Amino acid sequence: MEILDKLINVALIAATLRTTAPILLVALGGSFTTKAGIFNIGLEGQMLVGAFFAVLGSIWTGSALAGVACGVAAALVFALVFAVLVVSFKANEVVVGLALNILAGGMTISLMKAIFGTRGSIVGHGIVGLPKVQLPGARDLLGSWAPLISGFTPLVYAAFIAVPLLVVCYNRTRLGLYIRVVGEKPEAAEALGISITRVRYIASLLCGLLAGLAGAHLSLGYITMFTENMSSGRGFMAVAILIFSNGDPLKVLAGCLLFGFADAFSLRLQTFGYPSYLVLTVPYVVALIALFALSYRARPRIIAETLESMRKLLSVDRNTEPGGKNPQ
Amino acid sequence: MKDHLHAVSGQVIAIGVALLMGAIIILMVGESPVRVFMTLLRGAFGDQEKIAGTLLQTTPILICGVAACIGLRGGMFNVGIEGQLFLGGFAAAWVGFAMPLPAGIHTLAALALAVVAGAAWVAIPAYFRARYNTNEVVSTILSNYVAVLLTSYFTIFLFKRPGGWSETPPILATSYLPEIFAFSRLNWGLVIGLVLAVGVALVFRYTRWGYGVTMVGSAPKFAEYGGVNVKRQGFLVLLLSGAVGGLAGGVETLGVHHRFMEGFAPGFGFDGLIAALLANGSPVATIFTALFFGALRNGSLLLEVDTSASREIITVIQALIILSVSAQVLVRKRGDSQAGERRWKF
Repeated sequence: MEILDKLINVALIAATLRTTAPILLVALGGSFTTKAGIFNIGLEGQMLVGAFFAVLGSIWTGSALAGVACGVAAALVFALVFAVLVVSFKANEVVVGLALNILAGGMTISLMKAIFGTRGSIVGHGIVGLPKVQLPGARDLLGSWAPLISGFTPLVYAAFIAVPLLVVCYNRTRLGLYIRVVGEKPEAAEALGISITRVRYIASLLCGLLAGLAGAHLSLGYITMFTENMSSGRGFMAVAILIFSNGDPLKVLAGCLLFGFADAFSLRLQTFGYPSYLVLTVPYVVALIALFALSYRARPRIIAETLESMRKLLSVDRNTEPGGKNPQ
Repeated sequence: MKDHLHAVSGQVIAIGVALLMGAIIILMVGESPVRVFMTLLRGAFGDQEKIAGTLLQTTPILICGVAACIGLRGGMFNVGIEGQLFLGGFAAAWVGFAMPLPAGIHTLAALALAVVAGAAWVAIPAYFRARYNTNEVVSTILSNYVAVLLTSYFTIFLFKRPGGWSETPPILATSYLPEIFAFSRLNWGLVIGLVLAVGVALVFRYTRWGYGVTMVGSAPKFAEYGGVNVKRQGFLVLLLSGAVGGLAGGVETLGVHHRFMEGFAPGFGFDGLIAALLANGSPVATIFTALFFGALRNGSLLLEVDTSASREIITVIQALIILSVSAQVLVRKRGDSQAGERRWKF
């Protein structure tokens, strides 16, 4: 019991929120492309360049905010390339996404070597991290539970605030509606005169924006350094979440909290002397199990849908047959 | 034939564009593109040892490329070759150091276990892909991370060489893949790769099973009406692809490193996938694209020594090649249909 107490406490929940934030930001970004009907495996790379250029911008300007802007700008460039190739040139989205991920990995390492002359990681060099926001009154209100709402870097708050914003966007705004129509029924969108290309570009760029924020949070908020491939699969976990949440912001939040918890828990287990290599697999294993379990659960629905569409097809056939080709 | 020529010329133009963009990036990191490309060329083909080194690097890329081709033909993206390679490599090393067997049989047993390990590692994603349509791209990517960490755990916590650092004991000499020349570590693994590429190409071309796989990949509905069990076929395709990925790891262990260590063969799985994509899923064409990437990789070793650029610049060039190849739709004729194409085709 004592061990359990040590493992699960306020600090762990606060850590969960901290580890959830980057994956939540990037998954919410991917929610736009998912809803618009694009399978975006390139989240990982957008996040990575976001993290790298955030550090670069922060060093050059001495301002964390400018760093975040740099990170977002870099991720937007990647998102734009993705959109040009996938939306305009109709290239295969998996191939383009994977290639952009590889490009991001190679480019950040090459630039790191060129600019800092080192391999591995950038520490120091005057990186300005994001400040921690202490909410006034949190301590009076919650006492020892105050770390749950106070003392995070700004992008943690941004991540959680973005969830209701996205819900509103999808349900109450014209853009959100357009994105959903383009994703679910492109023919209907075309018939309504909505430009599929334009909507998909907007969705891709919104995705890049949030992925860039996620990257900036990794290197300026979560910790204040950049290391090779520091996104370490978070983008792919986000894609896993997007597959089984279908991009719905609230389900995305639930999935991200699960992975954030797995992440925080594995960090915590390490401090208790469990072999770090095994413990580090925990988030990935959780993601895989969730992916498999939820696709298993989705199975009856697929069958029901198939049956329904077959029935529709058959009834349409029956209706058209007598009047059409087979007049007796 | 004309179609072939058209396809190849398109690929060549794309590579040219990519090299041009690569040159711009090299300028950005403060190096001379001419110097970098010349160094790459010298590092890849400078003398007979360099050429042997290039072929040595080509071997795992080729085998991984064949693994990717098998998946792509059947409409499956096996992005988990990297993980299968790591597990295969470890499995072969384990047979190599833990099971004394007569020479020859030892090598075969080690390769066999590597194949089994690779197939076993992809079995769960393959099962869920075939049965419940779980996206195999994501599940195989995520399983890569687990594979790398798991083999590191085996190496460091269970089978560490006493006094060594994050590596297993060396394998017994009876399990080595013999070397071809005295001056290089180049070994019979390359021959295995070449035979495998040609063999797989022949299977796809001349057997009923191979035709069925290609049909499932390019027109699953048609294949289903034609009586192919699409689900079982998909499962088998991924399993086979994983088995070949495991073999790549086994060859790398038995032929090159003679032990398993942390950070073993980084990136060969992805290089193989890219080589297969560039070859448009043809195992024979993969021989040439793998050679190209092997040359880049071997050349990049000299790059690190002779210039200030990092060797990852070749990863950038590879990614640019794939991007510009995928953008080729721009130059494709308008009349070309998009509908009946394989889903991985550029």
